[in-house]
Amino acid sequence: MVSDGPSEMVEPCGADEAMGRYSRGDDQAFAIVYDVVAPRLIGYLRRRVSDGARVEDIVQQTFLQMHAARGSFVDGAEVLPWAFTIARRVMVDLSRKSSRETPVDPGARQETSAAFMSAAASGEEVVQAHETHRLFNEALDRLTEPQRAAFELMKVEGLSLEQAASVLGTTVTGVKLRAHRAYESLREALFGERTRTPPRGMPSSNPATM
Amino acid sequence: MDLSPDLRARILASTATAPAPTRAQTRRSRAIILGSGLAGALGVFFYNGGVRLTNRPPMLAALTSLGTAVCAALAMYGLFTKRGRSMMRRPATILALIAIAAVGAFVAWRFGVSALFDRTARWPTRPGFKCLALGTTIGAIPLFAALVSWRRTEPLTPFATGAAFGAGAGLGSAVLVDLWCPVSYLPHLLLGHVVPVVLLAGLGGLVGRYLLRLRRL
Repeated sequence: MVSDGPSEMVEPCGADEAMGRYSRGDDQAFAIVYDVVAPRLIGYLRRRVSDGARVEDIVQQTFLQMHAARGSFVDGAEVLPWAFTIARRVMVDLSRKSSRETPVDPGARQETSAAFMSAAASGEEVVQAHETHRLFNEALDRLTEPQRAAFELMKVEGLSLEQAASVLGTTVTGVKLRAHRAYESLREALFGERTRTPPRGMPSSNPATM
Repeated sequence: MDLSPDLRARILASTATAPAPTRAQTRRSRAIILGSGLAGALGVFFYNGGVRLTNRPPMLAALTSLGTAVCAALAMYGLFTKRGRSMMRRPATILALIAIAAVGAFVAWRFGVSALFDRTARWPTRPGFKCLALGTTIGAIPLFAALVSWRRTEPLTPFATGAAFGAGAGLGSAVLVDLWCPVSYLPHLLLGHVVPVVLLAGLGGLVGRYLLRLRRL
């Protein structure tokens, strides 16, 4: 029987263990996997896809694929990078022309703009934070897809180097290179148009540590 | 962007009503399919004569086969297993390097050990086409078994994964062909023992691209 509400907050490693149990036949464990993985996937997809119905479709397809392949789940494996990989594949398959859609929903960017606004105190700082946020988003959109994917997976989604490498199908060195180039491009965009001192109200002065 | 409030319930309900094999069931079915593939490969091998020493010293045959088996086993481990605690396989470039290194190693081993026994002369009647046909046939059977066993499970690189399966099957068939073939002339080894690996890798990639990739559910 499926419960209506989410189960209690579980750490990602709990989701790994839950997926392992699910693969062995514990059907109730999939709800735990969903509650850990779904918010992360939805947040990631919202930054990529403007259509809410499509986001739901991708999320549903992702979990159906995970369910169908539960017998292949390796004991002790990490479920989050696997889910991200499937979601990216589903997203690409659903969007044949481009795997990346410029989000037009202002709500999709509010999560990142909040980080810029949080430290702003005065009205001037709010204006400056808005400008920084605009520059940041423009610079992000100018990144190549591999660079943007590496940056988002590591710095926004919080995946490790190894996890990001497995999601992107490349080596750790390859991810480092992509991320480094992304940092350089963002740093140039944010600090190259101003003096070298970071704008006030920005949480971190170094894009590499964002 | 607001998502449906019943998204969670809908997804969990759809997975609850759709049957999916557990790990034990999957392992059982894969064991049967792969076992059948290996049995088929061995059947072809023995139908064509099985182990043939001809005029090779038994020690030579044992050493070359052992070396080829070690190369194939190490390569198969790298080609078939996943990376660390990941559900994804190794990057395509790494898989290609593993396969190329294994092929180079077993050719070098076979030729080198045969040279020690002064058995690298050309055989005019054996250019390598029989070995090519036998190696490709032997390897194709477990290759298709592997592709069927892992169908619709590869979200990232179905072509590379299929090619890795093919290279692994080719290396495995090279072990059997090594037991069957007495010729260690280098051009013969390249045509008859290496080309099957390449062919099977290509075949595995092309078929794997369709069989292994995810399908909309």
